[in-house]
Amino acid sequence: MKKSMMVFMALIVSGAMFLQNVAAQTATGPVELRFTVWTGNAAHLSMLSDIAAKYKAVHPNVSVKFDTIPYGDYPQKLAVQLAGSNAPDAGWITEADAPTFIQADALLDITKAVAAYNYADFAKSATGLWEKGGKVYGVPFSNSPLIIFYNKTLFEKAGIATPTELAAKGQWTWEAFASAAKQIKAKTGTYGYQTLDGSGYTDNLWATIVPMIRAYGGDVWDAQGNCTIASPESVKAVTLLHSMIYTDKSVVPPGEQADFFAGAAGMTMSQISRVSKLQDAAFKWGLVALPKGPAGEAQVIGQAAVVAFKAGKHTAEAADFVAFMTNKENVATMTKFFPPARVSVLDSEAFTKGNPSIPPEVMSSVVGYALKNGKILPSNPNFPKIDLIARSSFDQLWRPDADVKSVLSKVASSIAPLLK
Amino acid sequence: MTKTPSANRKKNHEINRRKRGEYLFGYSCIAPQILGFLVFVLGPLVMVIVYGFENRNLLTGKTTFAGLSNFTTLFTKDPLFYKTLGNTLVFTLGLVPLSVLSSLLLALAVRKDSMRNTVFRTIYFAPVVTAAVAWAIVWKFLLQGDQGIVNKVLAVVGIHGPNWLQEPGWAMGAVIVTRVIKNLGMNIIIYLAAVTNLPDELYEAARIDGASKLQAFRKLTVPLLMPTTLMITMITVIGSLKIFDHIMLMTEGGPSNATMVLVYYIYYQGFRFFETGYASALSLVLFVIVLGLTLAQWGIGKRFSYQEG
Amino acid sequence: MKRNIVLAKTREPLTILLMIIVALPFVFPFWWMLTSSLKTSGEVFGALSLWPKTFQWANFAEVFTYQPFGLQYLNSVYIAVVVTVVTVVLASLSGYAFAKVRFPGRSALFLILLSSMMMPAEVTIIPNFFMMKQFNLTNTHLPIILLGIFGAQGAFSTFVMRQYFLSVPHELEEAAQIDGLNRLNVFLRIMMPLAIPALSSASILTVLNSWNTFLEPLVFIDDLKKFTLPLSLNNFRDAYGSPVWQLQMAATSLSVLPILIFYVFAQKKITNAMAFSGLKG
Repeated sequence: MKKSMMVFMALIVSGAMFLQNVAAQTATGPVELRFTVWTGNAAHLSMLSDIAAKYKAVHPNVSVKFDTIPYGDYPQKLAVQLAGSNAPDAGWITEADAPTFIQADALLDITKAVAAYNYADFAKSATGLWEKGGKVYGVPFSNSPLIIFYNKTLFEKAGIATPTELAAKGQWTWEAFASAAKQIKAKTGTYGYQTLDGSGYTDNLWATIVPMIRAYGGDVWDAQGNCTIASPESVKAVTLLHSMIYTDKSVVPPGEQADFFAGAAGMTMSQISRVSKLQDAAFKWGLVALPKGPAGEAQVIGQAAVVAFKAGKHTAEAADFVAFMTNKENVATMTKFFPPARVSVLDSEAFTKGNPSIPPEVMSSVVGYALKNGKILPSNPNFPKIDLIARSSFDQLWRPDADVKSVLSKVASSIAPLLK
Repeated sequence: MTKTPSANRKKNHEINRRKRGEYLFGYSCIAPQILGFLVFVLGPLVMVIVYGFENRNLLTGKTTFAGLSNFTTLFTKDPLFYKTLGNTLVFTLGLVPLSVLSSLLLALAVRKDSMRNTVFRTIYFAPVVTAAVAWAIVWKFLLQGDQGIVNKVLAVVGIHGPNWLQEPGWAMGAVIVTRVIKNLGMNIIIYLAAVTNLPDELYEAARIDGASKLQAFRKLTVPLLMPTTLMITMITVIGSLKIFDHIMLMTEGGPSNATMVLVYYIYYQGFRFFETGYASALSLVLFVIVLGLTLAQWGIGKRFSYQEG
Repeated sequence: MKRNIVLAKTREPLTILLMIIVALPFVFPFWWMLTSSLKTSGEVFGALSLWPKTFQWANFAEVFTYQPFGLQYLNSVYIAVVVTVVTVVLASLSGYAFAKVRFPGRSALFLILLSSMMMPAEVTIIPNFFMMKQFNLTNTHLPIILLGIFGAQGAFSTFVMRQYFLSVPHELEEAAQIDGLNRLNVFLRIMMPLAIPALSSASILTVLNSWNTFLEPLVFIDDLKKFTLPLSLNNFRDAYGSPVWQLQMAATSLSVLPILIFYVFAQKKITNAMAFSGLKG
């Protein structure tokens, strides 16, 4: 008897929960914009909510709900959500996905909405990727150079010159980078280098290899769609990385879990937005621009833009909110995590003093410097396929006895047909 | 003994009425299940066939008729398809015998009720109730290269373990074994149920006849447990065909597609490449395989225990 | 004879040793899970340690602030309950009909249903996705529930019930019918009470299956508050996708322990249910 009562109760409860869910689905009323982001960081989200609150003060009927999709699954999950019945209205997308989403006609034309402010304030070099046929499909909110974070405490322990000291002397090269990593490993037993977010062999493959390849004078593919990933310059750069991983054993290898932010690596490639992860760090740290290579300076920028989606239910409100979010005041607010593409903000104190944990001179000499000299990461309308196919060919590189040249040739032949 | 024709007719009528009632009862009993089957399985299956002949893209939402092109690509231009097919076969053939055999042996080892066996049974069952996601995540951590705990343990006995999930030669094995461990407990329980029903007298008789333990196992235990073994094999085959979360979270099909199985490849094409048309063509191939297996299983099953009662 | 006994005696500790070795890969992940859930993140990555230096009980509290974990837990529970109850009811009805009621097309229909038993959800996930979209049901739990009930597990439960009903002797039913019970009452009053072990077996398998479902929530659910446990466990990651191990392991421990404790106490009953159901073949 007791048992059947419990089953009965469970049924009632679950039925109620179910109805509640359905009700939430069909509720109507004031507009709620669904905005997808890949950050789950509390500091980022509270900053975004503040912007939404400011918007609500002007447009009382519009509220914005920020939904986090994990970074690794972001484009896939976003595409599924856009195809579903609960499509987001606006959101972030990265430079890598821009051509894919624009070509698929998934993004809303927001040319009119951005005419509300001085759109020309955005650097031409930053907006190129987000325009097509004279129309604007997205506004970059983050124009963030890849930089090196290092664990100063570990460098001191190893008794070697820090990257900042090397950079001051003009000796901050990828060779010097590799040797620093090697010495840290040898003298402290801790890994010298961890790739971007520890996923340099998978989700962040391109951000990991492109800076090195460019510094050696190569690139992965050019604007005409020619694959240059197997060029002698590229091979040289990737060989350096490979020997760091397998000869020096100074890089956190594939499959291994370690975390720079927990003190388990001497250096990592990262972006300003991740400085928030260093808040509770138990070590001293520093920031430095990417090293130089034989071909000289090659700073690399990762971009992300705010876009509105065609599939959303409230397109007019979404376009308006995108414009609001990227007006001068809000770009200045976001600057503490996301370096701006607005020239006027970049030159202002809002940028250099935006993040209290980074000294203004570092902000301008590292981030500002990299921004002025940087080139954006590669992209292509076929990027999702290129990315996954290249990764599976690249897997052959991540072993001690790999022949770098032949693996890169294989990568080139597997992705070449997709580039055109 | 003599009946008038009209009485006969009446009886026939009565039988017919009863029969109709019986039919109606039968159909009403299966109606909800069959209705659900039509809407959520058969209908979608028909749509899979339709989609298989279309170019569909999840992101653009555009659909065009493709004729046979998905299938010609699949069979003639997609080496990955054959690779995933092979991987699926290797996975199933590796997992099923390993799982069935070890669950039988372990079930026999813990068959007697005792404190000790209760502990072991609980241990073997624990992974079953662990979310597959969690299981995969934990093992991914344990199976790292030099840092990995598994390799550190192996190093104690002088074995230099490989970077399990990063080397194509080892990844599949690692994925299979960790999956076997995950579900072994369920098979053990089913075997335990059957083992407790084994007639003791038979073994006693065999012992008196001078049969060794191994002989008794081969000549008595194995045949007596055959229906159970078939059932477990079936459950395990079903489980091995829908291996998805485990692969996705441990290897994402890598390294170099070494663990890309058919179900994951379908997801990959449909939800990562957005090629839902091509993914449907793949699904169709998988369905044909499943249909073949079902018929085979039905045929084998009929010989043993599933005959009409 | 004597030799045999001696052999058996020396074999005993050997068997136990072997069983302990075999048990290691079953136990160690849990050990690691529990200890890691109490470590700091630095310790998780640091040198291998079998015991946390200081116990970070706060990790368990943080699990609930990092994500709406309580709600996600509840989602999994209620979905499992609904799916299991409905599945078992439908499976008993159709299992009984397939076993005991004679009607035209019975074998053919059963065989068709059986074919869905082996079919992975991946085969039909794409059309199902578009269908659910048509009915505005993506980002609700309904697709997970419906596909859970009518998918492979539902068919398997039907199979289990049918196997069981087949083993019940005809005479029992005939006697009941002679006593004047109609078909429905025979089913409800005579057959169902007999079928408790098979019902329990089917329920256990269905609960476990629902508890583990990953693909459907992955495809259908967008909203954190509607996540189920498997999605939630995979989502203890920082802004850039790196897992937050100590929280992930704390959450995993919370998801495993209650069921494990339940199993320890219900072990005998579960095995018995399996023993008396058709499952063992």
